[in-house]
Amino acid sequence: MSEGSIDAYRIRQEPYYRPQGNEISLFEAAYGARLPVMLKGPTGCGKTRFVEHMAWRLRRPLIVVACNEEMSASDLLGRYLLEGGGTRWQDGPLTIAARFGAICYLDEVVEARQDTLVVIHPLTDDRRLLSLPAKSETLVAHPEFLLVVSHNPGYQSALKDLKPSTKQRFGAIAFDYPARELELEILVHETALPPDLGERLVSMAEAARRLKGHGIEEGVSTRMLVHAGSLIRRGVSVEAACQMALVQPLTDDPDLILALNSTVRACL
Amino acid sequence: MTNGASERAEPFDGPSHFVRALWGFEVRVRALPRAAEEFSPRRPRFAGPNLWLPSSPLAGVPGSFSDYLFAACAHISAHLRFGAPRFEIKSLKPVGIALVSLLEDARVERLAIAHYPGLESLWAPYHRARPEGVKTSRALFARLARALHDDTYLDDDAWVIKGRQLFWEARNEWHDPSSCRRIGSALANDLGQMRLQFNAKDYAVEPAYRDDNSGLWHFESESAGNDPQLELEAVRRVEGDAAAAPQRQRGMPEAMPALAAGASERSAALRLATDVDTPPSARHPEWDYVIQRERPAFCSVFERPVAPEASTRLASMPARDTAAGKRLTRSALRLANRHPQRIRRLLDGDRLDLTATVATVVARQSGVQLDPRVYVRLRLRVEPPALLLLLDLSESLNATLSRAGVTLLELARDAATLLASSLAAIASDVAIHGFSSNGRHEVGYYRFKDFDDPYDEQTLARLAGMRAHLSTRLGAALRHAGQVLLERKARRKLLLVLTDGEPSDIDVHDPKYLLLDAKQATNGNHRSGLVSFCLGLDATAERSVARIFGAGNYLLLTQLEELPRKLAAVYLRLSA
Repeated sequence: MSEGSIDAYRIRQEPYYRPQGNEISLFEAAYGARLPVMLKGPTGCGKTRFVEHMAWRLRRPLIVVACNEEMSASDLLGRYLLEGGGTRWQDGPLTIAARFGAICYLDEVVEARQDTLVVIHPLTDDRRLLSLPAKSETLVAHPEFLLVVSHNPGYQSALKDLKPSTKQRFGAIAFDYPARELELEILVHETALPPDLGERLVSMAEAARRLKGHGIEEGVSTRMLVHAGSLIRRGVSVEAACQMALVQPLTDDPDLILALNSTVRACL
Repeated sequence: MTNGASERAEPFDGPSHFVRALWGFEVRVRALPRAAEEFSPRRPRFAGPNLWLPSSPLAGVPGSFSDYLFAACAHISAHLRFGAPRFEIKSLKPVGIALVSLLEDARVERLAIAHYPGLESLWAPYHRARPEGVKTSRALFARLARALHDDTYLDDDAWVIKGRQLFWEARNEWHDPSSCRRIGSALANDLGQMRLQFNAKDYAVEPAYRDDNSGLWHFESESAGNDPQLELEAVRRVEGDAAAAPQRQRGMPEAMPALAAGASERSAALRLATDVDTPPSARHPEWDYVIQRERPAFCSVFERPVAPEASTRLASMPARDTAAGKRLTRSALRLANRHPQRIRRLLDGDRLDLTATVATVVARQSGVQLDPRVYVRLRLRVEPPALLLLLDLSESLNATLSRAGVTLLELARDAATLLASSLAAIASDVAIHGFSSNGRHEVGYYRFKDFDDPYDEQTLARLAGMRAHLSTRLGAALRHAGQVLLERKARRKLLLVLTDGEPSDIDVHDPKYLLLDAKQATNGNHRSGLVSFCLGLDATAERSVARIFGAGNYLLLTQLEELPRKLAAVYLRLSA
């Protein structure tokens, strides 16, 4: 891969992000110190959007990796491919980011197996090295390189957690669903919904979040609200949009569905 | 999409979730006791956070029964959210009580609608009074209720108009329930002057989703004499509750008749027999924090047989909790089928292993010997963890839960049974053991269901034979259970402990001693690779439970009735 093709990972337009607190200045400071960052928070509260926004703001390319259990170290580092009569090395996403100075974002990092994640260790302390044993190369990370990971502490099981040795390499920023006014502002910005309708959707989300831990693993996220809003903008009735975007994706339990339907009715 | 209400064991789950979503507090919803169900017309009822709803549709009520339940719950939750302490009856006559209640109903609904505008449409279909017909007090009450709810409703009756006017004039005082008392008394007065009869006996609150008002008033035995009808109601309520408990026991055993009689006496005899002659099943060390050292072979654990007992209650239990049980089985199945495992370096398989293929091609190019094993196969690993559920069977488990008349022991037994029955289909590696102690020389250990026992009638009979007595020497029991569990072959091993408080025993007076010993035992189990988790039945025992099991490794129940579900949830969480 050449220096030029990293441009494909650049973010051209400013992604909308409404700060909830001082997370932008915290991230900038961490970037200045090249301190790896961990974003913690429930699903759909804006972690990924925040990283996109920060990559745009810091003018760094962004490489996103969605982690899963099947992922192996070579999926991150790279591998040999067959080409013609011989083989060719292809960098993995982490290697590309370290080589060309991008921000590498490992989404839902606990989903990756712990032994896979060990490859990031030398990269995340002051050595900033990435070792590629298959290629017999030790790569010194580009000065602009930064590693960001996200993780959702809410529904992780007691057995599925990061090793302390991995966790402690990061500075962490905690996210939560935005406060009422902020969430309304975000919803109205993203969907151009009339504010009074937006307000009712936000009330609905707040009500559904009270059911967390009572059969619902995670409450209605801001993302789900945006989904409902965009359905409404496309002419779907408010009730049907709430059904499709808020109620049905949240649970399969018939009692909870009834309760959520009534909550939707009560809010509208 | 949804099952009929009859198919669900808990038709009231939805309404209680609804209240939690609206206001963030918990209510306990149950069916009206039988006595009240026979009383006509039926109305919902509440006392504090306890709600009783009709269990079948009411005659003449429009819409679906489920909608009705939600409307009723929303109304009562508005009382709970915006109501004040119960009204004192003082000098009010029955008609006054009914009218103040009617205004209070309207007041709390107005306040609730201000938070959730859609509630209005939830209640509207039940307001069907019309400005026509004979003006009995009952008809006028229903018309007033509608006039206060529905701003577009027109009524020509002077009394209804006055009521609506007074209610709206007081709208700045809606936060204050005493405004209802003032207006209600005035309206009752007018009604008297109109010489309209009010008969408390055949009065029923309209519309039908509203509660019978008994939760709004403070009945003292002296003052209740003022109103025989309401007093009767209160008595019915108490009787009804008491009647509800034995109802469950009805339909005595058909299965296992041989075991039924005398089993409890036999089991008691078995347990009280001391083990003077028999050697203990195991001796375990105990940690003494004073000398910072383990006392070797300090506690004697006796494994004792469990006397089986017939119980149709237990046998029917899984059926009662089908919804929760099915959910558990389904999730456990899903769990068991996850986790793909890759078997590499095969001569033939589902797909090529890229790394091995590249190596082979490189080898061919360089002319060295080929390794033809380039395939990989994905296999789904079916391996639920081995689970040992350890029950604390000390005397305190015999405590009765406040209202339901169920003991902690019954609750724990039901929860264990539900777990065992739900997991029976997929995992045989589930054991249910219990313990109680009588000093360090006599720690009793009981196996109600062992790992390889099938979930059958004999197991059920042993579970039914569960008794609680004596004390809690937790450390010894943890060590013993740990040993039992370690012998299992499963890759992961869970020790789930169900206890109601701190460890204690008759021969120990220092409260820290057994606590720190139990902590030591848990640490030992952890070192040998067991995952321990505690479900605490006493929410006030947080400090000791946290100390023994460590932060994040315990869950304290505030709503004990939720135990079966919580137990299942904890199992799923730890197995994932």
